[in-house]
Amino acid sequence: MSHTHIPIYRAVMEDSTRWAEATRALLTERRQKLFNFIGSPGAGKTALLEALARALKGRVQFAVIEGDCAGTRDAERLAAEGVQAVQIVTGAGCHLPAESVHQVLRDLPATGLDFVLVENVGNLVCPAAFDIGETAKLAVLSVTEGEDKPLKYPTLFRQAAATVLTKVDLLPHLRFNLAKCRAALHQIKAAAPVFELSGKTGQGIGAFADWLLRQK
Amino acid sequence: MIAPDMHEVSICQGLVKVVLDEMAQRAIPAGALLRLRVVAGALHQIVPESLEFAYDLLTRETPAAGSKLELRVTPLAARCTKCDWRGTIEPPLFLCSVCGAGVELEGGDELYVEDLEIAES
Repeated sequence: MSHTHIPIYRAVMEDSTRWAEATRALLTERRQKLFNFIGSPGAGKTALLEALARALKGRVQFAVIEGDCAGTRDAERLAAEGVQAVQIVTGAGCHLPAESVHQVLRDLPATGLDFVLVENVGNLVCPAAFDIGETAKLAVLSVTEGEDKPLKYPTLFRQAAATVLTKVDLLPHLRFNLAKCRAALHQIKAAAPVFELSGKTGQGIGAFADWLLRQK
Repeated sequence: MIAPDMHEVSICQGLVKVVLDEMAQRAIPAGALLRLRVVAGALHQIVPESLEFAYDLLTRETPAAGSKLELRVTPLAARCTKCDWRGTIEPPLFLCSVCGAGVELEGGDELYVEDLEIAES
């Protein structure tokens, strides 16, 4: 019995990449921007989006896509802020698939909508590996998680266009070393800005909203 | 439940799809695929044992059952944004080893099936 080697050179993520490309094309056509927020469960992603909703109100029209393993709680929280929110329930899925995001995006209005904010499933690993055709990935890290998180999950912080450090109003009560966290983020992506803010008090939200508005 | 290896499982779903599609297109009979070689850039943070475990599991009762997955992890190739130094870096340190400035990645993001090894009778 002989063995034959057949060269393949075929991308493993080709399906996912095709959907991501379709999303990029649709965003370009509609002149919309899609931001992919990625962080641990409990990092404060939904609170960040609620605060952003208040900061962006009247400046841009936006919708939110929520990814969660179960339930529609996050979409309801945002609807209470007057935001159009669509929930994708992923079941056991650890990230939002590019295909689901594309289908939801297709059903959103083609005009009169500037931003689509996507809250990915709470997870620091899988969502970083799956391109959904976003304008930019944003890493969300809370000060209650520990300053060494970026060094443990470097891929997300490397792929992200910026890192949002949330819950900074809690800093006086924590042993979180802000300087070490900034140094860790710097060694992973020196060029990426870090926004220190609190969804609860609204501190720092304005600067982050302004930065989002400047993204091309 | 295989939650600890979830990352590799979701990547493996795409991989198995590609393998089964190639086998169908090339009329490779069930059981004839002995080995496949996969190349993954270090940026994907794939744990080889976890991917192999997921592959064995997801190919059960498919024409690819019994085939062995060989993963080769390629290093992160970087270029300094300031002094143009080129070399490989080790995550989580993404800084130029000469001048300490930030780097751009030129490789380490790839993820593809390189080849299939088929038994021919």
